[in-house]
Amino acid sequence: MAIFLISSVSQGVIGMYSKMIKTDGDIIITQKGIADTFFSNVDIGLLEKIDTMPHVKSSYAMIVGASPVGHLPIAGIYGVSENHLSHYKLFEGKYPKKGQVLLGKTISKQLRGRTVKIGNKRFRIAGAYESDIGFEEGGVVMNISDAGKMFSRSASFILVSSDSPSNTDALVEKIMRLNDDIGVKTTQSFVQEYNQFKIIENSSLVISSLAFIMGLMGIASVMSMIVNSRKEEFGIMRALGKSRMFIIKNLFFETLIMSFSAYLFALVLSFLILSLLPHIDTLQGYVSGSLSLNVCLYVLASTVFMALLGSLIPAWIAAKTDPVLLINQGCS
Amino acid sequence: MIKASKVSHFYGKEQVLFDVDLQIDRGDFVFLSGDSGSGKSTLLSCLSTLLRPSSGDIFLEETKITEIQNIDLFRQQKIGFVFQFHYLINYLSVYENIALAAVKGKKEKINALLQELGILDLASRYPNEISGGQRQRVAVARALINDPLVIFADEPTGSLDSTNSKLVYTLLAKAKEQGTTVVVASHDEHVKEYATRMIKMSDGKIQ
Repeated sequence: MAIFLISSVSQGVIGMYSKMIKTDGDIIITQKGIADTFFSNVDIGLLEKIDTMPHVKSSYAMIVGASPVGHLPIAGIYGVSENHLSHYKLFEGKYPKKGQVLLGKTISKQLRGRTVKIGNKRFRIAGAYESDIGFEEGGVVMNISDAGKMFSRSASFILVSSDSPSNTDALVEKIMRLNDDIGVKTTQSFVQEYNQFKIIENSSLVISSLAFIMGLMGIASVMSMIVNSRKEEFGIMRALGKSRMFIIKNLFFETLIMSFSAYLFALVLSFLILSLLPHIDTLQGYVSGSLSLNVCLYVLASTVFMALLGSLIPAWIAAKTDPVLLINQGCS
Repeated sequence: MIKASKVSHFYGKEQVLFDVDLQIDRGDFVFLSGDSGSGKSTLLSCLSTLLRPSSGDIFLEETKITEIQNIDLFRQQKIGFVFQFHYLINYLSVYENIALAAVKGKKEKINALLQELGILDLASRYPNEISGGQRQRVAVARALINDPLVIFADEPTGSLDSTNSKLVYTLLAKAKEQGTTVVVASHDEHVKEYATRMIKMSDGKIQ
């Protein structure tokens, strides 16, 4: 179950951030050589030049940061250019002017009043929006100029949409020539190469591997206890002429059934936990995940491998049970 | 049919069998007697292929047992065992316990065998649902299912009352009548009534 949850949640986090970046742009411009968009600073003045380029459908700038919001210790802050505010679907109020903010649906449930303190400044709440991206629903949207003052930067990144996918690569080349201090990539390749995603994936892999090893040790110790308590049975089988392979196969099969049952149980439980996560207000929608077919198959393969590997030594010990013990036990 | 030639066995440094020579003919009902620690169970283990002696040779049907390619299959097809405790597998029914021992083509005769031993009505019951005597009769049925050449029984009535003991010996004698060689290691002097041959062991030697 640990592997299910770790894989799903890490994929969920990566998926949310990827979706946020990829939804409204084909090209992303960040500060050159910066590992994380949180630290990136790009000149927002580039927007004017980019907008005049052929094959540019639209462009906008965004600041991504994090800050204490009201009583919440931390929340995502999204400073967006005015032309992008309509991306956030209002379900209450209106879009923010300077000095005002929009609250995501999740965070709005936890904040009361007409104003909210973000960092050291108080903002008027203009409305609330909903989104199918947990990061957005758990965050606060404000004008990029306000966010710029708060985080002391022009823009974290600029997203550009081209009029046709076939023009994207040529557009990347052209934008790159605008400034030596910027890094320009298609959002597709950015997502694939983004260091933070690699860190999350690697961390998830390490934790999953530890969970795998613990599972392996658990199966091995459970099987050892089972084998020990059933020594007499294996002795009977050996005395009746059953081969060592017969005993090993039987134990493998039993472990597989046991592990597959545990897999199904973990699948259902993980599904329930993952369904509950978005509804836990304190998580602000930042932690979510879904069980993809890939994750299910990956965990199934890990379970089968874990079962076979974990029962290998106990099965071998069982197969080596000496049937003479049956006679010796009865020997007077 | 069974021949042991200069069979010795050690458990660690302790020698328990000393150059035992023995020949058992087909159809014999052998009563292997002796005090505790006399080596009769070790000899039984060696003769039945469960234990490889430290030295000496054992032949079954003229074949040296160390030269048998698939000793497990050989044991399943040619040898039946009855132990002091029934050693039935508790999560298997009576029928399944016998089926576990049956080689291909023998499963069909399980019901007939159970009928013959008067325990057909127990077929679907589990070992913990039947009496000790009934369990041992099931153990005899399991030993007989493959029409073995020889049945080795180690204190088969050690945990039974006299009525059930008599029943078990009668079943083994019946198997002997049908051509199966029977070797019983026991303290129970009643085996004499059924045995055609007696072998007494003392201090790891045949007297």
